[in-house]
Amino acid sequence: MPATHFLEYASLSVTMVAQGAMKTSNRTYFEENIESCLDRLYGAALRMTRNTSDAEDLVAETVTRGLDKIDSLKDCKQFIHWLLRIMTNYFISECRKAEKRTRHESYTGEYGEEEAAFSLFEQLHQPFLLWWGTPEQDFLNKTLKEDITRAMDALAEKYRVVVVLSDIEGMTYQEVADTIGCPIGTVRSRLARARSLLQKTLWMHGKKRDLLEEQGFHHE
Amino acid sequence: MNNETKIIKCEEAIRMMLEFLDNELHQHDHDSMEDHLESCRSCYSRMEFEQRLKGMVQKVNTDEASVALNQRIKKIIKGY
Repeated sequence: MPATHFLEYASLSVTMVAQGAMKTSNRTYFEENIESCLDRLYGAALRMTRNTSDAEDLVAETVTRGLDKIDSLKDCKQFIHWLLRIMTNYFISECRKAEKRTRHESYTGEYGEEEAAFSLFEQLHQPFLLWWGTPEQDFLNKTLKEDITRAMDALAEKYRVVVVLSDIEGMTYQEVADTIGCPIGTVRSRLARARSLLQKTLWMHGKKRDLLEEQGFHHE
Repeated sequence: MNNETKIIKCEEAIRMMLEFLDNELHQHDHDSMEDHLESCRSCYSRMEFEQRLKGMVQKVNTDEASVALNQRIKKIIKGY
């Protein structure tokens, strides 16, 4: 074998051995750490799918896909974000398939885009009551976890996903953009829209629950 | 006030509020927001409200994976 070929062969072998070692160490890392990530994965899956059975299926599929793609785990410190990316991509692709089948809810469409931004604070805040009370804080005091969950569940998938990744999982806008594969500007606008819709749902629900009447708000 | 920060009005502060809370503003906008919040009671109240609501959304995930899911995952890994 010519010397140059031998060097190329040796270099290729070293690369393959290194890749094999990385794959093994990633696999070991995966096995050792997946259990500690399960609650977070399940929580995110539950918020995305809105029901326990689908959430469990989504986590199981994420784990299987994670094992398939173990080579793509470049940095073990990013393990949970790497898994969330796999989960989100799978969830979005399933939503798109379902959308094609049913044509009910649009993942890609601009659901509710025409509505003006809604601010719960603007509805509740009464500057002249500043020294006697803060209705907006009173409203939050009476807002339960179930109310927030319900408001999140009412969001369309594309808004729910960015709230889960940004607000719950604490990803930066750039990390969310990388995860769902869209420009950072889209993440910004979806998050703003999602929060507006979420606040509107809390407001509507508050009206139904008479939270506002208790605070002296009267609406038709 | 920091000499390099721009003075902003409430309208601009409200527009930047959520990105401020997400720590996504450029440093100079972040500083401008901080300066504004120090001197505007209404925007400060709004910021407190939005921050608290964001915290409530953040804490919504308290659900734990079931024993059955744990076992299912172990089985997937073992059989892989």
